[in-house]
Amino acid sequence: MKKLNLAVYWAAACGGCDIAIVELGEHLLELAEVADIVFWPCAMDFKYKDVEEMADGHIDVTLFNGAIRTNEDAHIAHLLRKKSKVLVALGSCAMEGCIPSLGNIKGPDHALNRAMKEAPGTHNPQGVVPQAAYEMPEGTLTLPTLCNQVRTLEQVVPVDYKIPGCPPNHEQIWKAMTQIIENKLPPAGSLLGVDERTVCDQCPREREGKIRVERFYRPHEIIPDPERCLLEQGIICAGPATHAGCGALCIEANMPCRGCYGPPDGVVDQGAALLDAIVAGFEGESDAQIRKVLDTIVDPVGTFYRFSLADSFLHRAKMSEELSGRPCASQADGDGRQEMTT
Amino acid sequence: MIRADELDNTFVQEIMNEPGGEDILTCWSCGTCAATCLVRRYDPSFNPRLILYKAGLGLRDEVLSSAEIWQCSACDACYSRCPKDIHISDVMKAIRNIAIREGYEPPGPFAEVDEEVCSGCAVCTRACPYEAIDRITKNVNGTERAVAQVDKNLCLHCGVCVAACPSGAMSLETVNDKEIVSRVGAGGWLDKGSYLAGEAKEPHLLVFVCQWSIHSDTEWNRMDALQSDNVRIVNLPCSGRVDPQIILMALTEGADGVLVVGCKEGECHYTRGTYLGRSKVALLRTILDQMGMPQERVRFVELGSLDRYVLPRLIDSMSQDIKQLVAAPVQVCG
Repeated sequence: MKKLNLAVYWAAACGGCDIAIVELGEHLLELAEVADIVFWPCAMDFKYKDVEEMADGHIDVTLFNGAIRTNEDAHIAHLLRKKSKVLVALGSCAMEGCIPSLGNIKGPDHALNRAMKEAPGTHNPQGVVPQAAYEMPEGTLTLPTLCNQVRTLEQVVPVDYKIPGCPPNHEQIWKAMTQIIENKLPPAGSLLGVDERTVCDQCPREREGKIRVERFYRPHEIIPDPERCLLEQGIICAGPATHAGCGALCIEANMPCRGCYGPPDGVVDQGAALLDAIVAGFEGESDAQIRKVLDTIVDPVGTFYRFSLADSFLHRAKMSEELSGRPCASQADGDGRQEMTT
Repeated sequence: MIRADELDNTFVQEIMNEPGGEDILTCWSCGTCAATCLVRRYDPSFNPRLILYKAGLGLRDEVLSSAEIWQCSACDACYSRCPKDIHISDVMKAIRNIAIREGYEPPGPFAEVDEEVCSGCAVCTRACPYEAIDRITKNVNGTERAVAQVDKNLCLHCGVCVAACPSGAMSLETVNDKEIVSRVGAGGWLDKGSYLAGEAKEPHLLVFVCQWSIHSDTEWNRMDALQSDNVRIVNLPCSGRVDPQIILMALTEGADGVLVVGCKEGECHYTRGTYLGRSKVALLRTILDQMGMPQERVRFVELGSLDRYVLPRLIDSMSQDIKQLVAAPVQVCG
């Protein structure tokens, strides 16, 4: 049998998804028997021109992790789409924006300003902000520029499959890989590497079912009972509104589910679904009591949309203009100004 | 025709022995309850006075088998007006309890659980104002796992659980998400372009109205007149049924604002539904604010039982407020 050509790429990501692939361990040897890795910048030495020189459709499967934050990310997304038969969004960033897309709350200009000028420990008296192009005696230096929004992979190019998780559970990655290797893929557009229903289905904790809470605690404010449902102890747990697949890992560590496996089947806006589920457990028979409970929820966008902001109705409602890849205003004109497409 | 030999003289005593049924014999049959009853708006055949009267006569089988005893949703609008201080919803409950023991079943509709989809997360059991939902462990297609189970005798079909369920496992005929979304978008209403995007001359407002918050029948019957290209009114069984996902969808697809109309504090037909409705809207407003979007695009207003013809003014005022937003346009990042 002809070996598969496999590519792995990271865009705006933390590297956790690549680590999750490394965590396949011995399975990597099995993988090496059936597939050639033709591109994996995080782990092996490849250059973009290696990909550019490939024939269209040369790569059988690309696992693309990371959100689209810079014009370089967008450029490689277009490039890999062209060169790949199957494009898989691996992990929460590529699938739904994840933590990087929380940057959309205030936008990239705010982020740049914060990182380059305001952050404690930053010494930048001249207020230098990275520029797309800079003239030096030796020639022009260029850097990628931030787009004015962090987008999901699918908001930039068509995607065939998605594997959720931050990062995806390595066993689930292998399950998906097996489907790819054995050519037993479900219809395009499906999620790979997930289980049925939500995290609560895999959570072993005791749920009394009728307990409502008078206030919410942040994880550092309370040591929860490891046997009881976290929501019933006043800790916002995203389990009810999160697709199963992780095996309730965080919950085993006595931490609430934060929702990295994305919305359950049929739900578009994970944050709104979670909001509804959380409000349902409010104690209070008057406006004043309910307000008191509400006031204990800190950073609602970061709590309810921690992983899914870029792909949510909320984000789309904010973007009255079409989701665009225009660069942010703080960065000067230059060659990198326009979104590069191949 | 009522035949004397069909009357069961012990029935009244049976009801009076049941908790809540003690006061049935003090009823004068004045009909104030029927005149007040909000359920009659949807089913004119429902008449609390008549049920109490028939029960008093001893028409046991007729009362226990009637569909009407299940329709009272215990809003207690009649309780405050009854000159004899009869807690009619309690009497109804007493009659229902007897009916349940006799093997009669309520006609529905009820909240239904799709056990294939249900994760047993217990969100609905916390949401239900009537404790009508339990989390039980049972065998579903060969796997032993926890799922929600609705007690049909307690469910008063408010739809709060359908909104609360984060995985879409809960449904209730006529107020499912699909049904509501299709009512929101019927006739291409969402495609008419939005005011804030500069595509329309007047703001487009989506108004969710709790069906119990409008107390005047005449006003209720004239609600359709408020509908226009700019205003879309969608009735819900309770403001607690409002779904933030649908609100955000409407804002994404072309509505400039969403107004949620619910009952006044302490007057909710479904005890705590209005608190859920207003909490969701309040939290959503905080979220919009954090995102740098104007909070005014989503609003909760309450209507008291004495308010009449207030809705047109509320709609107009929200519309005016949205017009002000043009001066401070939606902040788009970058």
